[in-house]
Amino acid sequence: MIRLVVTLSLLGAPAEDGLEPGIAVEGAGYWAFQRVEKPDVPHVSREDWRGNPVDRFILARLEKEGLAPVPPATRRVLIRRTTFDLIGLPPTPQEVDAFLADDSPDAFAKVVDRLLGSKEYGERWGRHWLDLVRYADTAGDAADFPVPEAYKYRNWVIESFACDETYDDFVREQIAGDLLPAADDDERWRQTIATGYIAISRRIGVSPHNLRHITIESTIDNLGKTFLGLTIGCARCHDHKFDRIPTSDYYAFYGIFDSSVYPHAGAEHQPYRRDFVYRAGKAKADEILRPYRETLAPWDRREREALKLYRSFQDRKVTDPSLTRESTWKALLRVRERRALVARTFPDLEIAHAIQEGKSRDAHVMKGGDPSSKAKGALVRRGFLRVLGGAKLAAEAAGSGRAELAGWLTDRSNPLTARVMANRVWHHHFGRGIVATTSDFGVRGSPPTHPELLDYLAARFVESGWSVKAMHRLVLLSETYRLGNAESARNSKLDPENLLLWRANRVRLEAEQLRDSLLTLSGRLDASIGQRHPFPHRLTYFYRQHEPFSETYATNRRSVYMLQRRLEKDAFLDLFDGPDGNLHVGERGESTTTLQSLYLMNSEFVHEQVDAMARRLLAETGDGSPRPRLDWAYERLFSRRPDDQEVARGREHLSTLRAIIARSEGARADVERLAWSAYLRSMVGSNAFLFVD
Amino acid sequence: MTVSRGSSPSRRQVIRSLAGGGLILPGLLSELIGNDSTTPRPPHIAPKVKRVIFVFMTGGVSHVDTFDPKPFLTKNHDRPRRKGSYYKGADWSFRRHGKSGIEVSDLFPRIGSVIDDICVIRSMQNINGDHFGATIGIHTGSATFNRPSIGSWVSYGLGTVNRSLPAFMVVSPGLPYGGAQSWGSDFLPATHEGTRIVPGDEPIANVRRRSSSAALQATELDLVQYFDRQHLEGRETDSTLAARVRSLETAFRMQAAAPEVFDLSSESDAMHELYGLERGSTAGFAWQCLVARRLAERGVRFIELIDGDSSIDKNWDAHAKMSSYDALARNVDRPIAALIQDLKARGMLDETLVVWTTEFGRGPFSPSPGAEGRGHHARAYSSWLAGGGVRGGMVHGASDELGDDVAENIVTAHDFQATILHQLGIDHERLTYRHGGRDFRLTDVHGRVVREILA
Repeated sequence: MIRLVVTLSLLGAPAEDGLEPGIAVEGAGYWAFQRVEKPDVPHVSREDWRGNPVDRFILARLEKEGLAPVPPATRRVLIRRTTFDLIGLPPTPQEVDAFLADDSPDAFAKVVDRLLGSKEYGERWGRHWLDLVRYADTAGDAADFPVPEAYKYRNWVIESFACDETYDDFVREQIAGDLLPAADDDERWRQTIATGYIAISRRIGVSPHNLRHITIESTIDNLGKTFLGLTIGCARCHDHKFDRIPTSDYYAFYGIFDSSVYPHAGAEHQPYRRDFVYRAGKAKADEILRPYRETLAPWDRREREALKLYRSFQDRKVTDPSLTRESTWKALLRVRERRALVARTFPDLEIAHAIQEGKSRDAHVMKGGDPSSKAKGALVRRGFLRVLGGAKLAAEAAGSGRAELAGWLTDRSNPLTARVMANRVWHHHFGRGIVATTSDFGVRGSPPTHPELLDYLAARFVESGWSVKAMHRLVLLSETYRLGNAESARNSKLDPENLLLWRANRVRLEAEQLRDSLLTLSGRLDASIGQRHPFPHRLTYFYRQHEPFSETYATNRRSVYMLQRRLEKDAFLDLFDGPDGNLHVGERGESTTTLQSLYLMNSEFVHEQVDAMARRLLAETGDGSPRPRLDWAYERLFSRRPDDQEVARGREHLSTLRAIIARSEGARADVERLAWSAYLRSMVGSNAFLFVD
Repeated sequence: MTVSRGSSPSRRQVIRSLAGGGLILPGLLSELIGNDSTTPRPPHIAPKVKRVIFVFMTGGVSHVDTFDPKPFLTKNHDRPRRKGSYYKGADWSFRRHGKSGIEVSDLFPRIGSVIDDICVIRSMQNINGDHFGATIGIHTGSATFNRPSIGSWVSYGLGTVNRSLPAFMVVSPGLPYGGAQSWGSDFLPATHEGTRIVPGDEPIANVRRRSSSAALQATELDLVQYFDRQHLEGRETDSTLAARVRSLETAFRMQAAAPEVFDLSSESDAMHELYGLERGSTAGFAWQCLVARRLAERGVRFIELIDGDSSIDKNWDAHAKMSSYDALARNVDRPIAALIQDLKARGMLDETLVVWTTEFGRGPFSPSPGAEGRGHHARAYSSWLAGGGVRGGMVHGASDELGDDVAENIVTAHDFQATILHQLGIDHERLTYRHGGRDFRLTDVHGRVVREILA
């Protein structure tokens, strides 16, 4: 495997390094391209902030600017914050009570360990990763063909986070899992599934198989942003205007993916799937499937003939009076139905939506990024970014270069991989990264607020053996993470945006946190791991742009397991800035819109969950006196208990609600339940539930 | 350190004292604190219009059968052009309309009757020849990857003036090719996404009260305010919390306003007659056009009307039979003309830009004599603009003798978009948004305002 050597002198080198003209000079000596050096931890005056190195970096900077951190958060606030952060759900009242009652010095560390050890942690943090890789269950072509096997990659991501797979392995397997050594067949298969990362690149149009350069652009663009925090996609058509990425770098990557085989999930002009990976191996699968394919082949022919007859109305005047457009369409559908009967007899072999090695070749620079351009640019040896050393594939390298790419990305001396991931962890814990533009470490991105801290985290990340959970522990057990949100006029004046973290940032619940919390509190959550979506049989797809795949599959599982289509987004997730299967998203929006409020007021989902919640509340709180019921509600939605005044007001509010309901619904109505539904609905619509301090 | 934003202490103190004392109403609070991305913003240049009504015909309307007469094709109908290609003349005759004498086919007699208010562009060219790419191309400027729609850019650029309704609303009973991407905000803040309006008793998602009585819902909202007030103690300066409180009020206002906006019963019989709408009906394009006028009256910035959906035979994609156009045109001709007349009668046409377009035209040739349909044709097609700041009774650009390619004054999808933004007072080169390390704009690196058609 090629070792990445970052030649620092190269970064500032003059033109003889071979860079094309027109590369911005800002790239030279730019911080993000320098090797990570673990900095010394600064000294701070406050003794209680000396225990955790993270705090010393933060406090040193605050002290330098004349700022003082606000007091720590209460334990109730802290456990709510940490639980939402790590597992995306609210803490149970028992968990809160246990934390409050635990006066051991490592009480909080125990909470963190419990959460990190849960299956729900993988579901929450796996989702962060799926945002980056624009995960979807459909291909995104004009007919949005389903990819029934895509979920295997999704679940692989979730499991990898849950079991703290080391980040370097995690990266390597997504790029070249099929090429890595494996202890046994299960591991080999698991690693093969990991390359689903490349396979889920966005497809477009009616013939995506003919737009290979667009699919590969989607791969390169995503790879740059996700692993390196760089926008490489721009260099498809022109030298990057701001970072030192010439088009030849783009085509050095391009050759690697052009030498790989992407699966084709089907599309309007080529509805038959091809190049999926069989666990049994291609030869064995071919052997098993041969008789079935032979039975299906004549039906394929009939189907194409029936389609041709139907389409003939587009090309000529059909003179046969027995044929109409409608009759030929119906005939086509009949053929497809009968063909589907045959397709469904195929044995259920284990299949992955994954990448394979193809014919190895270097790529030419395409003028203007257009493969049809007659003016062919220079042939570029496959390799890595010049600003990161510019290593090339060895002359004797046999494969596509994905194995070498995986090695380059995860080489300890790569200055970006560890920084970018450590910053992502930070971003999700504090609501803003040390580099706020978490996927753009280029010169146009935000400069780091705490450059030494970022390097310290990156260095520790690598030292820990790339353990993401070790990164969580380092960050979460800091005083900085445990700060409250109190206002400080003096601090606000100097640092109104809290860039230096003198307090905690308040965040709105993300779409999944909101939905999953409501399902949990209503008791309706299906906690099982999502498997294959109930798509029709994989060999029966004839979607067209006129009739794109448009099914929705209801589920009460956690939101990460919901069907994600590319042409249509789920209305709820979209409304609350949820995932976008088309775009790499490093930082989600945190919008506040009127339609969100309408959703909270009037949607069927909220009303159903809250009604179920009210039934639970009544069933679980015996004698009917308001105090335990108000406790039940406050503890679950706000993670605290109501004070005496709130109980008194709660009684009043509930009698008002009962009176209104009795008046409009009549005496036979279940007034108590309806009153509690209304009360809980108001809590769900309130900021105390929707925001995390 | 520098102070980049934040409210002045005096104002903050006022707010705190009010909120702390439990005296403050959320409405007042929202007036006092914070700004959000929907607040009206000043345009770059003097605007010619206040709003746009963007009328989109799904499927690709044949230019040579509607707004771009080609006598050569008619004369040579079914004659071979070369092997496997025959000229195909229009199935409808053209006639001159208005003082301007612009020729329009008999598919659109009523649009013909208002042609003196219309500027027909016969030199449109889109960036992609498939429905999906061309549809999102004309809406977002990109035929490949997702980008914000033109309506979202307008909402982002200008904000909203009606606090009860969103700035960008899309009256679309069906889904066009590419679905909701045509009104998606993509990387722009979600508040700029088009709000879809559908016929029926819940025109906007979740706009209908679900709580069993109005009194109950009012009490629920009082309760939310109670919880929010409690929560605000010690958090008074967080403008995000205030914005949430405000959005709840706006939602309540929208819920209250929506029935009136979509209740057409107050429209006179004469108005129903003008649009060709049966009283009580929400069917057809007539309903969409009358709703558009009502939204325009209520200050919505960008109103889009989408005709048809992506399912076969329900749109203008006449591969098999051009004769399907008779019914399709009947559905839209009268209401579109009515919309222009109605806006004009109300003195609103001057301040409204009405845009009529489609993803592409249809091919002037057929693969065999007597073929009854036409294929896609993005290289040359027609669209039109009417109203504020646009010269009526004018034809701009021309296709060649065959309607095959643009002969003069090409108007690309990006030029078209730049021109629409320009009329709203937006410089398409200056309306940018930073995303993924670079500044994006609707027209990418292209687009030229078509000044020749501006009054």
